[in-house]
Amino acid sequence: MKNENLFTLSVLIGLTLTTALIVSFWGDSRLLSLMVMGIAGVKFYLVAFEFMELRKAHVFWKIATIMVGMLVVIVVGMSF
Amino acid sequence: MQIKTHSIDHRDISYPPGGILLWIIIILELVTFGLGIGGLVYYGNLETELFHTSRLMLNAPLGMLNTLVLLVSGYFMADTVAKLKSWEMEASKRSLLLTMLGGLVFVGLKSWEYYEKLSSDIEMADNMFFTFYWLLTGFHLAHVLVGLVILLVIWINMKSKSMAVELADVESGAAFWHMCDLIWLLLFPALYLVF
Repeated sequence: MKNENLFTLSVLIGLTLTTALIVSFWGDSRLLSLMVMGIAGVKFYLVAFEFMELRKAHVFWKIATIMVGMLVVIVVGMSF
Repeated sequence: MQIKTHSIDHRDISYPPGGILLWIIIILELVTFGLGIGGLVYYGNLETELFHTSRLMLNAPLGMLNTLVLLVSGYFMADTVAKLKSWEMEASKRSLLLTMLGGLVFVGLKSWEYYEKLSSDIEMADNMFFTFYWLLTGFHLAHVLVGLVILLVIWINMKSKSMAVELADVESGAAFWHMCDLIWLLLFPALYLVF
């Protein structure tokens, strides 16, 4: 469990630093919002399913959480 | 410290990790912040240039640092629950303390950011972008502060030899704390990066 959480944290930090690099290099690209929000969606999934142990929960809670998170990701990502 | 555990099947729809009431709150909070972010996007498309120039006035590196702080704090929160489940009491208490330390650093950095903005005369009424900025980050900060109080109560209970700690209570506190992570993970890029 400890190693799994540590691995999840490493991936989350890696994704956050990747976001920083993407913003630095593609500051004005139209793809920026899609990429940044896509990465935010992956981080959202990892925190919910790994740290919050949502993977152990009933499928209803998994779908409800993912639906809300993905809706925000899509609305923000596709709007620019 | 004693730990009270009950055998709970989290696969049951009524018993998600952290409890059903907290999960109803989590979903409602995510929907509420989601609507707020939706409003930000709607007005952002009406005043693209204004939102872009206003967004550039935010301190994105500080926001990025705050994201890392919250993620590390979330890791220690997950570690607190894992250690408690394997009966490693002292390690669990230590992890909870580090979780709260992360929360305090987040509050400190956010306070510094607010101080910077207020020193530059950037206020809520300046324009629609900053109205969303102050409201969304302010409500999020309020959640972090409430989360810190919940974690402090749990930590005091864990420290006291005479008090029993319910694993379910710690899981509920953890779920609330992770909810602050989830909200920030959506809020930060929407406010600080994409406009």
